[in-house]
Amino acid sequence: MRFLLTIYDDERRWASVAEEDAKAEIDAYGALDNEATAAGVFVDSAGLYPTEAARTLRIRDGEQRVTDGPFAETKEQLGGYYLLECGSIEEALGWAAKVPAAATGSVEVRQVMDYEAAGFPNLAAEAARSA
Amino acid sequence: MKYLLLLFGDESSWADMTEEEAGAELAAYERYGEEATKAGVFVAGEGLQPTSTATTMRIAGGERILSDGPFAETKEQLGGFYVLDCKDLDDALAWAERCPASGSGSIEIRPVMDYEAVGYGESGDAGDVSR
Repeated sequence: MRFLLTIYDDERRWASVAEEDAKAEIDAYGALDNEATAAGVFVDSAGLYPTEAARTLRIRDGEQRVTDGPFAETKEQLGGYYLLECGSIEEALGWAAKVPAAATGSVEVRQVMDYEAAGFPNLAAEAARSA
Repeated sequence: MKYLLLLFGDESSWADMTEEEAGAELAAYERYGEEATKAGVFVAGEGLQPTSTATTMRIAGGERILSDGPFAETKEQLGGFYVLDCKDLDDALAWAERCPASGSGSIEIRPVMDYEAVGYGESGDAGDVSR
């Protein structure tokens, strides 16, 4: 059986985390990935950029509506996900518009964290700027 | 760059669908997956079982605090995910416990939909995915 574990945390916490503590936390995730892989249970995982970079798309009456920020409609539930390799958020939104759920529900688009590109261990400083 | 598309919809709408309508919707997802694969953007994608199968975990004082149902704490944000292949929910909960975020935030655990097991196999028979 496959299980999806979705991780929720206060993203502003990173702003007050020392670089050393942030590195220790990222390392803890690396250790978990290695352990889960060695146990044969690991399928996929990703960290995400903060919600300020999120876009939510829905299509109503054939018209695309994109709002800044994460999904916030409490009458709908998470029903699935896609992980896509795209050149930009615009391309990702283009694919989001094709998802059947865009016409009946909402599709939240979040960029996956690239820890190297984010200049880790300067991650805490970046989070502080974006908080 | 990788983008995560999160699909939100009213899961109770499946209960009102005819088998034909449900089959057509799943076929639309199949076409979408094929198109994204052909375009070279597809990395991963899964449908999820309803929120009635969800468990949310946090660790406080070294103890597991489990609640039935999906994540519902609005002061925290989605920061990442894992897809794990586990033998049962207990196994998945044990892996969730090891995840660093279980000590600072929350982790929602949801079984991934097995469309063949619920009767949406190659035969095209529509099963009951609403519960």
